[in-house]
Amino acid sequence: MILPGLFAALFLIFVSGLGITLSVFARATRLNLVECACLGWLLGSGAVSLLLWICGTFCSGLVLQAMVAIACLALGIFGWRAKRRANARFALPKPANVAEWILAIIVLFEIAVLLFASFKHTLGWDGLLNWEIKARYAFLNGGTIPVSYYSGEGRAFSHPDYPLGIPFTELWLYLWMGEPNQFWVKIIFPLFYAACAPLLALLVSRLSGKRWLGLLIAALLPFVPAISAIPGGILVGYVDVPLSVFYLAALGYLLCWFKTGDWRFISAFAACDALVPWIKSEGIILWLVLAGLGLGLSFAKHRVAHFFSSIVPGLILICGWRLYLKLVHIWPSSDFARPSFGLLRDNVGRLREIFSIVFAELSEPTHWSIFWLIAGVAVIYLLASRKLEKIALGAAVVVPMVLYSLTYLFSTWPSYTAHMTSSVPRLLLHVIPAGWLAIGLALGRTKDETRTL
Amino acid sequence: MRWRLYLHLALWSSLFAVFVSISAPIVGPTIRENRIGPIEANHSIDAYLRALTGIEHGSEKLPDIFRRLGKQGPLIIFVRDENSQSEFLGMTIGYVSWPREVRIIKVSTETIERELANIKPDSVSGLLFCSIDPPAWLGKRVRLGSSIILVPITEAAP
Repeated sequence: MILPGLFAALFLIFVSGLGITLSVFARATRLNLVECACLGWLLGSGAVSLLLWICGTFCSGLVLQAMVAIACLALGIFGWRAKRRANARFALPKPANVAEWILAIIVLFEIAVLLFASFKHTLGWDGLLNWEIKARYAFLNGGTIPVSYYSGEGRAFSHPDYPLGIPFTELWLYLWMGEPNQFWVKIIFPLFYAACAPLLALLVSRLSGKRWLGLLIAALLPFVPAISAIPGGILVGYVDVPLSVFYLAALGYLLCWFKTGDWRFISAFAACDALVPWIKSEGIILWLVLAGLGLGLSFAKHRVAHFFSSIVPGLILICGWRLYLKLVHIWPSSDFARPSFGLLRDNVGRLREIFSIVFAELSEPTHWSIFWLIAGVAVIYLLASRKLEKIALGAAVVVPMVLYSLTYLFSTWPSYTAHMTSSVPRLLLHVIPAGWLAIGLALGRTKDETRTL
Repeated sequence: MRWRLYLHLALWSSLFAVFVSISAPIVGPTIRENRIGPIEANHSIDAYLRALTGIEHGSEKLPDIFRRLGKQGPLIIFVRDENSQSEFLGMTIGYVSWPREVRIIKVSTETIERELANIKPDSVSGLLFCSIDPPAWLGKRVRLGSSIILVPITEAAP
């Protein structure tokens, strides 16, 4: 029953995500099948994990599983009916020439290789002790994490305050497989990559007007060692790559909305943006960056109210999770102190060391090759273009890195430098796909006629 | 302005070429290393426990042992301070011992006696030492694996 259960769980995730995607894009006469599949996985994993968390507060066991399954099917049916009402049709964009065919085959081959390779590795330290642990304990407790897990000191090492986006996607697989299976659960991480690469290709193509460029960028993505080879990447079950995919999707749709004014793009942005803080606590910083950039872009477009409504779901999720942690008497996290001006004044002397460590990490070829050099050149190109959306894209790469670095001013570790060296590489991963988007747009020039990609 | 286009293409082509030439020798071996399997439910945790302690199927054996401790008090896990392998082992023990309450205490050879003196024997179910030797005066030691020693405080009745 393990494999049929696994496929049923994945199917329901896709159905729910596809339902949400179709209800967002239904009014388009032509639905990009690749885009729907990518968003189907991203939004489906978000929807299922949220449903498990919310429904798990008042039911458990088979009732919980059945309730979430019915909700998934209902979302799918709702989306499908919206598509039929709008008379929209699926379309599979085919490569237009030999170069595009070759690049598309390379992208598919890379996805297949990473899917295969991920089953050859165990879950890494964080993958096991920060994320999978929550799914396992929830499974053993009928689908909900016991309150004693949050409030006890003993398992504070597993960061009980971290949000449940990925652990509850894992839990969904466990509920359907009938056991916490650490081998098969790893399938979700290459699936996030499988959603990332085509989505990156699509967004670069849509924003630059060149499909070959999108495919080239997607083909280069797994060559960043930190994505595919270094602990923290997709092979070891960490959530940093999934978080980076949600950030890419939210950023990409924000830029598409700015460019076209199409409300469907701001709806897709709202859905992806809301899930950014649901994947990892650091997602709140990325959410704030997106909110700031979106505010700037919406001012220029005179559609501030429209934009504000799009960040409400994320705001509700952030507040809801914080409230929940208060209600379960979460054991206080000991990695960072509460920011204050006094502490800032005391620790401002750390700044030089902080940025020298970040710079040393950025120039570490075994982690990044020369990705950051290329991204730096791209950001210069984007700034030199003097176009607001391109400057915003450059900022979306640089600002999170600066903000992440500044958080170490409040690190409570006995050695903040040790804290940095253990966590900075994973934090930098969050902006890698966004960095590739910046590289793609720096390389290409916009052509309006290919917007329908 | 054709030369600007050529310059643009030359710059990006050379950047991508250098990027791939540095990355490929790092990414390639990682993709090729290891083999698939074993296809087991506790695939990851068992692999770590086997590597760190030599215990096969540790995710099943260790909780069985901890269940036999009987008492409801927490299991105190001592790990060596500033030793990531010992800390990781302590956390994996914390992981598999659920739902028993645990407390992980970082100690050095100098501080272990002081930490032990602070523990009330009737409030805990056992002491576990990960990659650190318990003091000689502590009796009833049970060696569970190559770097893990359990000192049960009270055994449950069979």
